[in-house]
Amino acid sequence: MAVKTILQAINDALDQAMEKDESVVVYGEDVGFEGGVFRATAGLQKKYGEKRVFDTPIAEAGIVGSAIGMAINGLKPVVEMQFSGFSLPGYNQIVAHAARFRNRSRGKYNLPMVVRMPYGGGVRALEHHSESLETLYAHIPGLKLVIPSTPYDAKGLTMAAINHPDPVIIMEPKRIYRAFKQDIPDEAYEVEIGKARMVKEGKDITIIAWGALVREVEKAMKKVEGVDAEIIDLRTIAPMDTETIIESVKKTGRVLVVHEAVKSFGPAAEIVSRINEEAFFYLEAAPKRLTGFDVTVPLPKGEEHFIIKPERIAYEVKKLMAQKA
Amino acid sequence: MFNFKFADIGEGIHEGKILEWKYKKGDKIEEGETLVIVETDKVNAEIPCPVDGTIVELGPDEGEMIEVGDLLAKIDDGEGTKEETEEKDSTKEDSSDGDDDTEEKESEEKNDKEDSSSDDEDEDEGGVVGKLESSDEVIESSQETKKSSSKNEKVLATPVARKMASDLDIDINQVKGSGEHGRVLKEDIENYKQSAQSSEKLTTTKQAGIDVPEIKSHEGDKREKISSLRRSVVRAMTVSKQIIPHTTLIDELDVSDLVSFRNEHKEKAANENVKLTYMAFIIKALTKAIKDYPILNSSFDQVNEEIIYRNNINIGIAVDTPDGLIVPNIKNADQLSLFEIANKVEELAKLAKERKIQLSDLQKGTISITNFGAFDAISGTPVIKHPEVAILGIGKIDKKPVVRDNEIVIRDILPLSLTFDHRIIDGADGGRAMLAFKKYLKDPLLLLMN
Repeated sequence: MAVKTILQAINDALDQAMEKDESVVVYGEDVGFEGGVFRATAGLQKKYGEKRVFDTPIAEAGIVGSAIGMAINGLKPVVEMQFSGFSLPGYNQIVAHAARFRNRSRGKYNLPMVVRMPYGGGVRALEHHSESLETLYAHIPGLKLVIPSTPYDAKGLTMAAINHPDPVIIMEPKRIYRAFKQDIPDEAYEVEIGKARMVKEGKDITIIAWGALVREVEKAMKKVEGVDAEIIDLRTIAPMDTETIIESVKKTGRVLVVHEAVKSFGPAAEIVSRINEEAFFYLEAAPKRLTGFDVTVPLPKGEEHFIIKPERIAYEVKKLMAQKA
Repeated sequence: MFNFKFADIGEGIHEGKILEWKYKKGDKIEEGETLVIVETDKVNAEIPCPVDGTIVELGPDEGEMIEVGDLLAKIDDGEGTKEETEEKDSTKEDSSDGDDDTEEKESEEKNDKEDSSSDDEDEDEGGVVGKLESSDEVIESSQETKKSSSKNEKVLATPVARKMASDLDIDINQVKGSGEHGRVLKEDIENYKQSAQSSEKLTTTKQAGIDVPEIKSHEGDKREKISSLRRSVVRAMTVSKQIIPHTTLIDELDVSDLVSFRNEHKEKAANENVKLTYMAFIIKALTKAIKDYPILNSSFDQVNEEIIYRNNINIGIAVDTPDGLIVPNIKNADQLSLFEIANKVEELAKLAKERKIQLSDLQKGTISITNFGAFDAISGTPVIKHPEVAILGIGKIDKKPVVRDNEIVIRDILPLSLTFDHRIIDGADGGRAMLAFKKYLKDPLLLLMN
């Protein structure tokens, strides 16, 4: 066991995967020599050589497209989009090809590839550096989307993604890359894709979050007295662990979904729909979404007001609890 | 083929019971012949067949209910239905299979006819990829539809509260909510359930807008379903008594002059085949009183706060039939002679007793008369036939000792009750109208000359 940040945990996973399996290759913008702008791939080029860990031009379509070619031909590419906001030139390759290859070839080819991308705000960054684009990827059949919120899950989900036979998108909450550490196993392990994490059991209200906001929810609930909240870290956005959500809502009757992505057509809409479909008669209050506003993530000065803080989470929880059924 | 449907026969009647089929399936029937007798809650209507033909199919069996719009009968009138024609056409097309030339030619001609304005090639599979559906179907013109403002009568409640109510077999819409905006909370349902249990639970139904409690039987009681006529009376009486504040003036009239006048002339009338009853005089006198006090012949539209003065004087006569009360009316009674009135009264009473009365004879009454004299009753408090505003009750003419010029004499006395709608007719107005009526009735010559 060793105490690690999320970044170190990801690095750990990549390192162990490369060590174990020669077909794993890691590349992207500044990924090789620099070890990535956030140092997620630090030391890997030195250890595994420029043929397996290398820098690319600033050309996301090429990065993803080449990964598709490699995956068809037996490699296991793990590529990095420097920021999720930069993934859009590669989006065509991901959606039009990577997500469809198994179907297109009637199951003859599968693409064991991973696209990592730091995402989310709260780091006082520039335009294209702060958005949360879960919907763009979770909406596409053929793609899986995971978002770790702890070093343990970061390593386990990265491992699982690399070992997965089909394309997996990992959105990494960069705001908490180094925000805290956790004692995690040294050896390789997987966290199952498609399984939510029960952060805390409770009976009064279900709070669903993922990524950097899981910690904010936990902070918030320390400010709310007398409410026994059940906190679920969704951890995999697609395919969603509907069962865990529904079971929880059936128990509590109230639900708050918190995400940084903007509200309209966001993941919370999908989650609430599933709740309405499967746990409607258990609802004691209308399911509530606490999300980013429907605007482009503001620059640092305005971002202060965009970011979801524990106070706002606590406020919504109190409001939901005040409603009598 | 003619599909004969049960039509709306008026007066808000929307269902009826098949009493008797006059024809069977397979029978030939002529236009105008009575096909069936249908009992509605007002009348037994004889439904005539609208076409000549052979009956192919009949609607519900005798004793069963039929609703407006339901099929009464299918009658083969020699003209095929549209569907049939189309079927025939399609068989023709089938038979031309194998003769490609003709078919092609035909379809070309057809295309030319259908699309003569365009020189386009066959558009059926227009498009490079896939197959686009193409047809000449014209869809409805686009219209921005306005949202109809329908009132939501459902209470506010959370799903979990609705579920709870449903599990407890409680109609949540009956529960008074104590939450925000009257929302029904789980605790409201709990309280409702408890209060329902503590007091004996009364089942109520809405009747004429009023909750009517269900009545429990005692041991050995017999229950009997009421007839549709009785149902109609129940509804009419309930509505009348709930809506109209009734008040009744009770009076006696010395009709000795009328009695001697009638005795003098009833033979003359009999020679004209007229049974000259007191009722004819009473109706005549009432039409005169109405001319003086038109408010008697009105209706009150409380919704629009308007009094409707009726153009015609159609006087209803309450007839006691074996099945219950029926009130046919004499249309334009003010325009009829005494003899005509007398004949009409007799005719309507007979038809009503035989349940052969026409619906039109029951509709559009403007004021009514009820006769409780047949039972020697001294007095009565009649119930107004809503939406009329007055009803005249008449008792039995009897010889009674009365004081005239300080002497006790025997006179013919008629007990009278005038019930009126106190919302629009004040007691004094009612009294004045009664005086006018009495003036005409006690003096037959004035009545007939006026």
